Amino acid sequence: MDFDWTGEDLAFRRELRDFLADVLPANWEEMSKDGPGSDVQAEFSKSFCPKLAERGWLTQNWPAEYGGRDASAWRHIILGEEMWRIGEPRSSQYMNVNWVGPTIMKFGSEQQKRTHLPPIARGEAFWCQGFSEPEAGSDLVSLRTLALRDGDHYVVNGSKIWTSYVNRAQHCFLVVRSDPESSRHRGISVLLCPMDLPGIEVREIPSVVGDRYFFEVFFSDVKVPVGCRLGAENEGWDVVTYSLAFERVGAARYARAELTLDELAKLAAQRGSLEDPRILEKLGEARALCEAARLLTYRVIDLREKGRPPSADTNVARVAGTMAERAVAELAFEIFGPEALEYGHFAEAHFRLAMTAGVAVGTTEVNLNLVSSRFLDLPRE
Amino acid sequence: MDLDLSQDQRAVLEAVAQLLEQHAGAARAIELDAKGEVDGALDAALAEAGFTDIALGDETGFLEAALVTEAVSAAAGVVSIGAQALVAPAVAGRPLPGPVALTSLTHRGPVRFAAHARSLLLDCGDEARLISLEPGEARPVRSNFMLPMGIPEIDASRGKSLGAGSGQRLRDWWRLALAAEASGAMGAALDVTVEYVKRRRQFGRAIGSFQALQHRLSQCAVQREATRWLVYETAYKGAPSAAAAAAAAYAAAASNQIFAETHQLTGAMGFTREHDLHVWSMRLQALRLEAGGQGGHRRAAAEARWLAG
Repeated sequence: MDFDWTGEDLAFRRELRDFLADVLPANWEEMSKDGPGSDVQAEFSKSFCPKLAERGWLTQNWPAEYGGRDASAWRHIILGEEMWRIGEPRSSQYMNVNWVGPTIMKFGSEQQKRTHLPPIARGEAFWCQGFSEPEAGSDLVSLRTLALRDGDHYVVNGSKIWTSYVNRAQHCFLVVRSDPESSRHRGISVLLCPMDLPGIEVREIPSVVGDRYFFEVFFSDVKVPVGCRLGAENEGWDVVTYSLAFERVGAARYARAELTLDELAKLAAQRGSLEDPRILEKLGEARALCEAARLLTYRVIDLREKGRPPSADTNVARVAGTMAERAVAELAFEIFGPEALEYGHFAEAHFRLAMTAGVAVGTTEVNLNLVSSRFLDLPRE
Repeated sequence: MDLDLSQDQRAVLEAVAQLLEQHAGAARAIELDAKGEVDGALDAALAEAGFTDIALGDETGFLEAALVTEAVSAAAGVVSIGAQALVAPAVAGRPLPGPVALTSLTHRGPVRFAAHARSLLLDCGDEARLISLEPGEARPVRSNFMLPMGIPEIDASRGKSLGAGSGQRLRDWWRLALAAEASGAMGAALDVTVEYVKRRRQFGRAIGSFQALQHRLSQCAVQREATRWLVYETAYKGAPSAAAAAAAAYAAAASNQIFAETHQLTGAMGFTREHDLHVWSMRLQALRLEAGGQGGHRRAAAEARWLAG
């Protein structure tokens, strides 16, 4: 067992921080208060991601043949930590690198790899994730969006919901039911669906999480070429579970919580409340939760780096991450009291991001189900 | 970074498991508890096999000592393993004759192993003092927490000072040792509870198949895993104050949660001495109250990160 970073990893983190100090605008904190999906941040990522790509950092953990540098999964989590802690200047492009690209590498045809991987590696691609439906949330396998084969096309009808980033996505990683007679895990396919096809309509769902955060997407007789299908027809569930294993710890959200906690301690000190034993206790409690989330994520990265199959360690890490984020958000309110009620206040901005943690990327309950069955081996019924 | 056990670490764990198989276990802990005794035979066997001074080995160090501590605690060993394997080598620089008791000038109430201890490490604030004890010096007290307890006479002028700053060192390693022992005990408490809910049938099915129970056990499993990894990293890094306090703070909260859930889910059976749960669950509460307790660990974690220097 070895918990030390290599000299190269440490140097990379330093270089990355210098680079960020250099390229982030002075008002970055203000710019990033609405989260990675905001228009401002998405716009910023169009110049930022290519700069990361130029330095070889954006997709460094990808194989060289797909525009990467064969760097370790550790290098990738360092990038993730440094990006998330300051509010994710890659905007939604983080998910291209984390799971869209790797899933295409695993299941894609040569043609699909040539089409999709280079734009991701250059920092020019915008994707969205078409998973949830109005009647298929945690129970994703009950999805009903239908893709009926008609010659060299699928005709897609149905709708997806909670689709963040769809408003500017060029492609949707779309999960559909391709066998209308099927149910549950069988009969599902994945389509890499271009978003400029006729028949796709997008509607914003206003929410308290932020403007332009959630969307609904409607598909009406959308003709998607068969060549857009990722993996075998009707066997898309394997593709989905593969992508989820990457996604669940893809965003180093604990790094953001940890930095927020440091800021909170600084602000508490300025307000003279840092030596209040009650505040100290809560800070220490939250700090321990952040450390736990970091280490459990590292365990997942370690397993990934060693090429082991995805395990329930991912779900364990995800649950711990949610606990940490919540503790920090609650503490922020405690320290600032009613001041936190103003939109855009430091505490409010963190609270808004943290409130989705137990729901996004699979609910805490789904993660706990998987811990129960795969980690504790508890009986189903 | 490499978070797998090395081959040597696996060999250490296999060797200690064999020894524990022979000398420890819940039944032995229950038997010793009835007599209010420490496990002299286990203590001797661990020392003989080189496990109590493994931290100071040529090829082994404090991470191996933490792994041994966790394993001994998981096997319900009635020995002061954390104080002997982790704290003494780090704070006194050498193994100390066991049992070793740990306490502080501000401590009130029973102290683990004090009635049997031959060495006492005393946290006096800035410095720590090492005091040799004669058998029978500390008053044994009855305790329900599955560890032999005693109340020592505290005299800060006794023994010898371990130097300026040794008080902080003692607190750091004590916190790590507590967390390592808690990690082992919570793992075992959880294991017997998971076995129980798989077997116990009510309403025509195993109660472990109810989601209401599964989620609570899974939350416990998350906390047990987190405690374990916090212990390993802190041991690897030599128990820096911030990490040791965070590990102990996390372990204390997790101990409480796991105590509550394992007892709730094993029902009345879990309260009995026929079922093994109490061997570990009661200890979790004793560990939780040591060295400043949950609140003290949390404040220390915050102070070390944001107020030090």
